[in-house]
Amino acid sequence: MSLMFFFVMASITIPEKIGTDPQSILWLLPLTAAIVIVYKATKLPTITLGTFVKETAVLLGSIAIFITILALALFALAWLISE
Amino acid sequence: MVKRSKENNVVFLITVGLLAWVVPGAGHYILKEKKRSIIIFATIVLTFLVGLYVGSIGVINPADAKAWYLAQIMNSPMVAALGHLTATAPEKYRVFGKPNEIGQIYTGIAGLLNLLCIINAVYLAHLRGIKHEPSAKPGAK
Repeated sequence: MSLMFFFVMASITIPEKIGTDPQSILWLLPLTAAIVIVYKATKLPTITLGTFVKETAVLLGSIAIFITILALALFALAWLISE
Repeated sequence: MVKRSKENNVVFLITVGLLAWVVPGAGHYILKEKKRSIIIFATIVLTFLVGLYVGSIGVINPADAKAWYLAQIMNSPMVAALGHLTATAPEKYRVFGKPNEIGQIYTGIAGLLNLLCIINAVYLAHLRGIKHEPSAKPGAK
């Protein structure tokens, strides 16, 4: 089984084409979701579907909102400096 | 739970740690935390595979990206086999630019998340060992 899994992984030899445009930053959103899910899986005392989904969504939403506010603030600062 | 001696407890903690490293989530699974183990396994394996899909196995580069490789190898010892494969023909598997960057971030973060889960599983096993120790005082943490 693990040998088969190894061969499947080893067959992935061609990278995807990803540009260097600002949209490529969105690749970090699924990663944030993964970090939040694993963090909540280790932190919650008991795991039920309702509480897990709610806690994960709240944390992911907070992080996304904070990053968006930070990005807007930095964009405004850059605009003020360059104008 | 069966009472364990101190020596057996250390062996048990090492076993939990090693299992959690070999298969993400396996440490929690033997502690009978099945839901946690399924979530951990699915998330870490998926994150690692997305990293490989984006950047190819060239993102596992033990020669030129040692720091990333240290993080990636925390996923599983199987990563060492992939690292050996890419190290034997570096020109064949070399990847550049954004795919390399995103692939390394995904696979590295997946490894660091597994390290968090290994530590969490060992800590849980340690706490349960204390709780079931014969000399433990009632109410003691």
